[in-house]
Amino acid sequence: MSNTLRPYLAAVRSTLTAALTLEDFASQVVERHNKPEVEVAQSKEVLLNPLTISRNENERVLIEPSVNSIRLSIRIKQADEIEQQLCHKFTRFMMQRAESFVVLRRKPVKGYDISFLITNNHTDSMLKHKIVDFIIQFMEEVDKEISEMKLSLNARARVVAESYLAAFNS
Amino acid sequence: MILLESHNYIIQTTLAEKCIKPSSLDVQFVDFDGVRFRLSTPERKTSLLLSMNIRCWDELVKYGVDAVLRREYGGRVKAEPEPDYNVSLEIDLEQMPPEGEERDAYIKSIALLKRNALAAPFELAFNAQKELEAAGSGQGDLMALHYRDEEVIYVQASPDRVTVIFSTTFKEETDRIFGKVFLQEFVDARRLPTIQSAPQVLYTTREPPLEIRHLPGLTDSDDVGYVTFVLFPRHFANAAVASSTISHIQLFRDYLHYHIKCSKAYMHSRMRHRVSEFQKVLNRAKTEAATVDRKTASGRSMTSR
Amino acid sequence: MEVNFRKIDIDQYDEDVLLESELYEPDPRDPAQVISDAKQKAATVRTSLAQGDIAGALSIVLEDAPYGPNVEEAKNLTLQTLVSILNSTKATEISGIVKSLSPDTQDTLMKYLYKGMAMPGWGDVSGSVLLGWHEKLTEAAGTGCIVRAMTDRRLV
Repeated sequence: MSNTLRPYLAAVRSTLTAALTLEDFASQVVERHNKPEVEVAQSKEVLLNPLTISRNENERVLIEPSVNSIRLSIRIKQADEIEQQLCHKFTRFMMQRAESFVVLRRKPVKGYDISFLITNNHTDSMLKHKIVDFIIQFMEEVDKEISEMKLSLNARARVVAESYLAAFNS
Repeated sequence: MILLESHNYIIQTTLAEKCIKPSSLDVQFVDFDGVRFRLSTPERKTSLLLSMNIRCWDELVKYGVDAVLRREYGGRVKAEPEPDYNVSLEIDLEQMPPEGEERDAYIKSIALLKRNALAAPFELAFNAQKELEAAGSGQGDLMALHYRDEEVIYVQASPDRVTVIFSTTFKEETDRIFGKVFLQEFVDARRLPTIQSAPQVLYTTREPPLEIRHLPGLTDSDDVGYVTFVLFPRHFANAAVASSTISHIQLFRDYLHYHIKCSKAYMHSRMRHRVSEFQKVLNRAKTEAATVDRKTASGRSMTSR
Repeated sequence: MEVNFRKIDIDQYDEDVLLESELYEPDPRDPAQVISDAKQKAATVRTSLAQGDIAGALSIVLEDAPYGPNVEEAKNLTLQTLVSILNSTKATEISGIVKSLSPDTQDTLMKYLYKGMAMPGWGDVSGSVLLGWHEKLTEAAGTGCIVRAMTDRRLV
């Protein structure tokens, strides 16, 4: 693991752990409603300061905590057009399956590539540190996956081009 | 399968089958670039009629497709093609060569119908190059082949080479980006010592190459790519080399797009795998739900509704 | 029919409405005073840095850090001063310095680290330096420090 990736992930891990102190909280605006306060943003006293953790301009994480839910958005590194496209495809693929990834949001927050919404219901039914592990592992592997996909694309392109051109020799 | 085959597999297998056991049939099928075929037995079981419809037939006629097909298939080309189709071949199963290599070669030559039709402009260009070389100067006609709705092959002979230009469109963003990666590799691959003798490849996106820049009606968009192959006389030095070059270069567009699709399919399967891995990690976070069987007063199990 | 009345924000006429200013005690100093303080501190910090007293420089800049509205300039100046201290510290010394700070100063430092990370590429802000400090500060001050940075309404 590279030198800056480790403190980056460590910072995300500690911040997320700190933010995941959620409790059940009924809406103060609508009676008998209970919704993620970070999404509705109607009472500012239950929203906490959003925190950003960044490695550089192109890789950052935004954590927006509130009393009963937190929203975590990730901007994934995209060096060129190919990585952009692969990243877009991958996050889209995942978000279409948001139903089975209970904590995944169907749409990313503006300026980010993928967002998670963790509510008190999730922390009740799941182990908190394992949720954090999941997010960290996701961040680790998504970079790896994208660069591997890019490599495999280049490798295939090379084989394809070589075998086509080599056939002219015969 | 990395390279595509230039013959039509359906024609090949159907003919081989019918040789052994003739029966009446009527099938319609397609090939690359929207080419349609119909194989039928209009009169009797042993006389097959193979018809082909190809988009750019009018252009092919200009470039001498009739002569090429007559040379390849002789009297089997019907004077009047079936309605809706451009060309028809009559195949008499009773006059098939005996079983063995000879018959296989015969069937294969019929399966190459599309390839042979599309070969006409290339053969014309190869001959034109020889004449121009003898004359020492001049420029052959620029032959355009609108083989798909928005995509064209241009063939032009010069005294020292034949230039083949493909214009191809990429329907979506991913195709365009993947296409760029592939085409760049085509340009780079020639640096390898083993394929030094391959034709030179150039590609541009959006900007048409010099040879065709004066033509009207070129689409100006980022989705269009132009690929230029420069064929030198060594690529068509004798009949055998020339014919393999033709079969090969015809399929360039299909080959490129086929592999773009393959890459996308591969990426998709990778993502599927990766996402299911993530799913497993997340599932590890879930705690075991307590499944205590709660009973009602009468002793029945409670069910949540 | 006039429908503009629908767009009136009626909540502002609600007596119970919570105002931003009620969430925390405002800074007693007036903005001009805050800026001159910040400038003065920047100068003091430069002399401390020249003497190599990084812990001292940090406590000076983090003491009575500007917060609240209307003091953007002072906030940026403080951040700039702080970043220059952080950048000039050797990675091996961070741990010791962080431990020597008082809990309040640690909390303010944490707030500034997050503020710096929220604006990558601004001035001399460098992600890797801030991340290094963040790691050491969390080791020394614990998760509670992050929670306090998250909950304190006195935004730096």
